[in-house]
Amino acid sequence: MVIRTYNEEQQYLEKISSCAWKIKKGFVPNMKVEGVFYANDALEKLMFDELKNSCHSQGFGGFLPGMKQIANVAALPGIIGKSVGLPDVHAGYGFAIGNMAAFDMGDPKAIVSPGGVGFDINCGVRLLRTNLSEKDVSPVKEQLAQSLFDHIPVGVGSKGVIPMTAKDLEEALEMGMDWSLREGYAWAEDKEHCEEYGRMLQADPAKVSMRAKKRGLPQLGTLGAGNHYVEIQVVDEIYNKFAANKMGIEHKGQVCVMIHSGSRGLGHQVATDALVAMEKAMKRDKIEVNDRQLACAHIRSQEGQDYLKGMAGAANYAWVNRTSMTFLTRQAFAKMFHSTPDDLDMHVIYDVSHNIAKVEEHFVEGKQRTLLLHRKGSTRAFPPHHPLIPVDYQLTGQPVLIGGTMGTCSYILTGTERGMLETFGSTCHGAGRALSRAKSRRNLDYTDVLDALAEKGISIRVASPKLVMEEAPQSYKNVTDVVDTCHAAGISEKAIKLRPIAVIKG
Amino acid sequence: MMEHEFKYAVIGGGIAGVTCVEQLSALCPDDKILLITASSVVKAITNISKVTSILEDFCVVEKPSVYISENCPNVTVKQTRVTNLQAQKHKIITDEDEYEYGKLCVCMGGTPNIISKNCSYVLGIRDTESVQEFQKRIANAQRIMIIGNGGIATELVYEVEDCEVIWAIKDKSISKSFIDAGAAEFLLPQLSQDKQSSTGSAPTKRRKYTIDGNKFRDIGHGTGTALGPDWSEGLLLKGLDKISHNVKIEYNVEVEAVMEKDEYRITLTDAEQDALSVWPVYVKLTNGTVYGCDFVVSATGVTPNTETLLKNNKFEVAEDGGLKVNDKMQTNILDVYAAGDICSAFWNPSPTWFQMRLWSQARQMGSYAAKSMVSHTRNQDILMDFCFEMFAHVTRFFNYKVVLLGRYNAQGLSTNYELLLRVTKGKEYVKVVLKGGQMQGAILIGETDLEETFENLILNKMDLSRYGEDLLDPNIDIEDYFD
Repeated sequence: MVIRTYNEEQQYLEKISSCAWKIKKGFVPNMKVEGVFYANDALEKLMFDELKNSCHSQGFGGFLPGMKQIANVAALPGIIGKSVGLPDVHAGYGFAIGNMAAFDMGDPKAIVSPGGVGFDINCGVRLLRTNLSEKDVSPVKEQLAQSLFDHIPVGVGSKGVIPMTAKDLEEALEMGMDWSLREGYAWAEDKEHCEEYGRMLQADPAKVSMRAKKRGLPQLGTLGAGNHYVEIQVVDEIYNKFAANKMGIEHKGQVCVMIHSGSRGLGHQVATDALVAMEKAMKRDKIEVNDRQLACAHIRSQEGQDYLKGMAGAANYAWVNRTSMTFLTRQAFAKMFHSTPDDLDMHVIYDVSHNIAKVEEHFVEGKQRTLLLHRKGSTRAFPPHHPLIPVDYQLTGQPVLIGGTMGTCSYILTGTERGMLETFGSTCHGAGRALSRAKSRRNLDYTDVLDALAEKGISIRVASPKLVMEEAPQSYKNVTDVVDTCHAAGISEKAIKLRPIAVIKG
Repeated sequence: MMEHEFKYAVIGGGIAGVTCVEQLSALCPDDKILLITASSVVKAITNISKVTSILEDFCVVEKPSVYISENCPNVTVKQTRVTNLQAQKHKIITDEDEYEYGKLCVCMGGTPNIISKNCSYVLGIRDTESVQEFQKRIANAQRIMIIGNGGIATELVYEVEDCEVIWAIKDKSISKSFIDAGAAEFLLPQLSQDKQSSTGSAPTKRRKYTIDGNKFRDIGHGTGTALGPDWSEGLLLKGLDKISHNVKIEYNVEVEAVMEKDEYRITLTDAEQDALSVWPVYVKLTNGTVYGCDFVVSATGVTPNTETLLKNNKFEVAEDGGLKVNDKMQTNILDVYAAGDICSAFWNPSPTWFQMRLWSQARQMGSYAAKSMVSHTRNQDILMDFCFEMFAHVTRFFNYKVVLLGRYNAQGLSTNYELLLRVTKGKEYVKVVLKGGQMQGAILIGETDLEETFENLILNKMDLSRYGEDLLDPNIDIEDYFD
């Protein structure tokens, strides 16, 4: 890999609009198409600082700057259009998070890459509405949170409350939300308001390994820990009254519940298994990539097909998981307010995935083509009149659910025609953090600990301590900047803003 | 009409036994199940016990009668002591009666090791009866001595207020079996701070366990069920003085002798006797120091409770005294299974799992033993529960959340590993064990939000060499990166 100065790197970057930059071919070797990333002024600075740091060896060896990752993806075989960085783009394994890349299914060299989907397959967001207001919920906030904790197990080692056998799991992997519906955990209309109607038909449980199934079995209906959460939110702003009404949102202060979760350990294992299998096959098929983490396989190869079928199974698992938690949430609310979920109007507004690969029809240079879209940290955003979105959203466009990081505000957007053309109907997914070196503190606070821990022959490598919030560098791409940039770029439009009032997490 | 024949029997009403019975009942609602326990039954407090699309079960918290029988109608509970087991005849003999079983799971736990068995000033604190006794005694105490370096000792040292505590441990760092010396160093400052009042109003994120009311009958020494994770909840562990924490730690010592007041006095010269501050009991440590105190707590582990079982049956016993079990929780004797503190895991474990006598493992083993018994009855194959793939335990020490994953202290790795460390004084302690670039274990203290990510990295067996110590750089959102 050529090492260039920051100035040299900048020759390959060109601002093409007030909120978009082009990454020209040559930025990294073998680029088949150009890259593009969306950023407003604040986000732009973060992108360039990240790049500058890596040039001046202030970077983080193993972690590449977002711009480089976008460009490395543009070097993958069969890529079509552009390698797109959404405004929240930030470092990820293989692909950056917030990177969309489409591959031409008609090209035998086109590939599929698990790094372009993510380990947490079908990590996504579901939003339920209620007809409650903030003033109904505020006085009983703590009891409601406790009730949700009682219903939804959280944390490492937690086990699901809904009984599940190995056979149930097989069926869930194959049938997705249809399993939930059959078992009585879902309402029929929930499926309507879910991507793929909550079931990817190409799923094949046989392509999900035993180890993945073993990891998944005890975790169904659990929330795990980390950045997954269930949030009780209230409507804070309504930007598009017409769209809001179609979603059943009538007024500010209306209470909603957002569920942010994915396929847990099962998804992780499916991705891990595929990466291992594909790495082996790459030599055989003579596939070359710029970064080992971009392990991939030809879409039509055995490894590629196996992965897509396993991925679909994991996606189904995630939908069953979100559905189980929907069921448990409805129970918790119903109990709390001595009512029924139906009377509380607890419908699913929509359910989106932001870590997934989809086969979709798109127009490329005027011609209709079948593409395999990798959306990693990126959400589908179909425009009005698209045949794949539900009838009630035909006039508004698909609702796009953007969860901020836990505790910050969230948004609902709608898809646009322009997004369809520029990003194949994709938009951001949330917030993110740019790589940034905080000014290192000469901090010897930990020497006592280090001395105590020292042992002959054992190497101990020390990372710097976590800075207190106020001292932390401004490397954070907050969700409002991100969403505003998408809106300004015309690839999705703001409809509603929500703020959290209680959080359930591990 | 008294029942004497049961398809499944479980001996022991602690977490292992109760979980086993619950699981058996769920899997075989039509089979007769017997639970024999010498003391009160541990019950899980939960608002939900079973949720299906149609039925939802509520368990209200304080029920006067035995909770198990009410919610699992095919289970019979007998509070009595087992005097003998005739495994070949599939017979259990108790104080009051005899029972026949198809398959049996023994979950009789362990008897607390007491450093001085005959001294009334030495209290074991491993089980339910001793906690109540402790609570009584601490109310009148100005100074106590705590011997032991495990989880109970660690929690107790922090929980006790308004009383001076001398903590004597045989290791060179505190809580050795749980955390490493570095983490110990990190936690120590908490002992000189005031104890944080527990956040009673915050919601609890996991199932809570308690003891079933006052059904305890004094059957015999050491027959109480082991403490679950919430043992100190609701207890008043305050002494006489008005100080929050006053803890002195003696490292690298063991107890040489425990002497009551008069016993000790006569060993001193007249002058020494006059100068002596009077306490009911005195403890001499192996470093020569003698401490007087109101009473001594012996939290020095347990010995598996196998005496009754070994009377007439040739069980294979491990070095630590536990009944050996295979990867199906079976002992070497036909139709007898074992789970919890009484057993010793004798299968070839996954590289990131090992046995530790914890309530969480008791629960996992109890559940898996039940599934195993049922699958054998039905002639079905069974796969080992995934919880035995990677060690995972969450607890609280000194008011910090502590998460232990995999081989968190590089157990069994000799010197073939390296460590990554991130410490932020007073906030968090993160230590990762790497071997060949793969994460083998981790200790996470504080609200790190890393446990899920690390659990996945350990189980994915990913090669992390390319990241070096950047893996723990706080400027990188590592959990997002691997999402």
